[in-house]
Amino acid sequence: MRGLHVVRQAVRAAVPVAALLLAATALPAAAQEAAREPAYRAFPLIGSRLAVWAIAQLHLNFAAFILGVPIFAVIIEIIGWRTGAPRYDWLSHEFVKLIFAAFSTTALLGAFLLFLFVGYYPKFWAYMTSIFFPTYWIYALLFFAETFTVYLWYYGWEWLSGPRKWVHVSLGVLSNLFGTAILLIGNSWVTFMMSPAGVTETGALKGSVWAAINNSTWMPINIHRLIANIVFGGTIAAAYAAFRFLNATTDEERARYDWMGYVGNFVALSAFIVLPFAGYWLGREIYAFNQTMGITMMGGFMSWLWIIQAILIGVLFLGSNYYLWLGMERIPGSERYRKYVPYMLTILAIGFMVWATPHSLIVTLEEARAMGGTHHPFLGFFGVMSAKNTAVNLMILTTFLSYVLYRRANRLSIRPWVVIGMAIQWAAFAVAAAIVVFYGVYGYFVESIVRIGFSVYQVGAVLGAIVLVMTIDVPMFRGAKSTGAIRWGSIPARSQYVLILLAVTFTWLMGLMGFARSGIRQYWHVYGILRDTSVDAVTPALGYAANMITTVTIVFFALVMFIFWLGGLSEKGKPGAHGAAAMPVIAGGSEDPR
Amino acid sequence: MRVPVGLKLSVFSLAVMGVYTYFANSIPQIESKPPEELSLEGGNVTPAQLVKAGEQIFHTKGTCEVCHKIGEKGTRAPDLAGVGARAAKRKPGQSAKQYLIESLLDPGAYLVEGYPNIMPRVDKPPIGLNRSELWAVVALLESLGGSVDVKLDDIPKTAGAPAVGGTAAELKLPGDPKAGEAVFAGKGACIACHKAGKVGAAQVGPDLSQIARIQTPEYIMGKILNPSAMGTVAGYPKGVMPPIFGQTLTAKEYVDLVSFLLTLK
Repeated sequence: MRGLHVVRQAVRAAVPVAALLLAATALPAAAQEAAREPAYRAFPLIGSRLAVWAIAQLHLNFAAFILGVPIFAVIIEIIGWRTGAPRYDWLSHEFVKLIFAAFSTTALLGAFLLFLFVGYYPKFWAYMTSIFFPTYWIYALLFFAETFTVYLWYYGWEWLSGPRKWVHVSLGVLSNLFGTAILLIGNSWVTFMMSPAGVTETGALKGSVWAAINNSTWMPINIHRLIANIVFGGTIAAAYAAFRFLNATTDEERARYDWMGYVGNFVALSAFIVLPFAGYWLGREIYAFNQTMGITMMGGFMSWLWIIQAILIGVLFLGSNYYLWLGMERIPGSERYRKYVPYMLTILAIGFMVWATPHSLIVTLEEARAMGGTHHPFLGFFGVMSAKNTAVNLMILTTFLSYVLYRRANRLSIRPWVVIGMAIQWAAFAVAAAIVVFYGVYGYFVESIVRIGFSVYQVGAVLGAIVLVMTIDVPMFRGAKSTGAIRWGSIPARSQYVLILLAVTFTWLMGLMGFARSGIRQYWHVYGILRDTSVDAVTPALGYAANMITTVTIVFFALVMFIFWLGGLSEKGKPGAHGAAAMPVIAGGSEDPR
Repeated sequence: MRVPVGLKLSVFSLAVMGVYTYFANSIPQIESKPPEELSLEGGNVTPAQLVKAGEQIFHTKGTCEVCHKIGEKGTRAPDLAGVGARAAKRKPGQSAKQYLIESLLDPGAYLVEGYPNIMPRVDKPPIGLNRSELWAVVALLESLGGSVDVKLDDIPKTAGAPAVGGTAAELKLPGDPKAGEAVFAGKGACIACHKAGKVGAAQVGPDLSQIARIQTPEYIMGKILNPSAMGTVAGYPKGVMPPIFGQTLTAKEYVDLVSFLLTLK
């Protein structure tokens, strides 16, 4: 026994020594290997940065689509399950069919992106791995779980119907949970690059990887991307429906895809209204993390980017409203609300112009001398945040009003308190607008540090009005009298071009925001920690970025069309299992007669 | 002839994107270039040159002008006009240059009334001014209403971030710098051509006294093993450094040598 004990002790002592010896021989070898490993390699022809940029943007577009669509697809499926209306089941299946076809493309692009990082940015990737390696495993496992759940969700549609529908719905919910978890992990890597946390000044991890994950911009980006994914999924699904609508050969098919387009746009619009608020939060966190980064983003070399963003969002607001107004033409009873359209259009147009007014104008030297600077004596007042915040909040309120009018277009409330209810609703709109304008004007008379806080009051007023109006609206129009069924399929064809416009614009906007998020790091891979010493360390100008965004957007839509076409091949010649559903008759999407 | 819907939609989409792209190309095109490193150490610099260098840093790498204006009241940070004269009166017992240096290296130590504590340390990343650059910026600030009397030695030796490359991926070698110094002066015979701080005086090859400050660990390691592949410092003849150290040094000696060189900042 004693001998055995000694042997054990000897072995115990020998193990660390052997490990040390092994390490001592291996470390110099590793060091020599590291010395030979270049920090960067050059991708043929276009260079490494463009290669990574293109693939990353494509991957993000597809990922946003396959993560955004299931969120509302499962909600629609639940509505169909609880109400017993088969058309919702058809619509949900139709949405999932779209993401199902795009799923493998997303994974392939992700793998391609990984290869690019490993091969062309080995030093950067080695550093990220040194911090986030534990998350790679979780990411991979979640991806497996997400893939199999979505496959089961899609293929089990018929098998898990009837009394087993709850299992099917649970699969949909589960796939969303897995998808969101994947999003959160991916975001932790990206946000760490922007606002590193949990590391020493030299970049070494201090404690747990959680501190690096839970950095300043992680949660704001999670929320912002989650909402934006829903908007994106909605616009792409609506664009698909528009394509099918314009190609439809029967009234029934036209009606079906008109409805699908409406729902896609409704989903996009609902999420889009709250997206700017998430953007405010993200911006505030960027400033809180690093003032220099925030100022570079808003007032530095990127300041003109926000003018382009304003134009794109202005197009989205105008387009969404125009689609709703066109949609009202197919709703009997909506005539009584058409008189409001010119006023709403005026507010949106003025808001658009104010939002897109630059702080400093592009002028010739003579013009600058005549004006006494690059600030126009009159228009200059609209180029500041006070005016822009006011404009965007009023545009959100107006868009919400458009939706409220659309929603009640063919309904007449039978509630005895309808007059009071409507008075409160109008008062809520008026008070919110007054608060927004008051703080907008007041902002000109206070320091910027105080002015920044005013945006919270403006946002609060708008959100409060939205919540209050809907809280009254839902019970007020429950069981309302109908003034006639919606004539699905009779919407003008130009409305479908609006849906395409929204999808293209939002995709382009995502590319632009991706450039903004990445560009504010300037010459840092990981801000303040790991510097970009490659030949591509220059952050390009907006024109260059726009050319790149357009190219990638074209490739994205070409791939989407191809994938949708592929997805449709399997159904050619088959009777639509989910396609025989009747259309709803009420504008809000429900035919509940109560 | 009926135009296919797909074609019509494609043309429409391209036109929409074309408008966005055209607009983005028609506005001011501003690139953000990585800042250049300024080194004035050991050089003979006049106060006027120093102030000029400081001005350049103020507008570029220092990003000072993002918040500070000269002759214009800012909302984020104080107007710097006359700061050279004001600085001496800010804190009792502190000279103008001491106050200015403290303002750059420890901005929260004294806040001008009415302004928030938002200024970052300028010698730390992401701004990361080195000692030469700090010297120039202090000279510029002194020149705004005061007289330039700051010397490089006034800037603390500990100030300044490492140069190009950052330090995030810095390799933590298990080598012994002391043993590495012995290799430098002994078996490696590096001393025959290079100076490294107090060690050596030869000027055949570049002075390595601050090599860790101006080069990355990867460069240093690569240069020892394969000198020609890492290029030749301007002003020195090519091909002089022998490519033999991968064979003549043991792995331990190599790691010790690199560890020693990485201490030269």
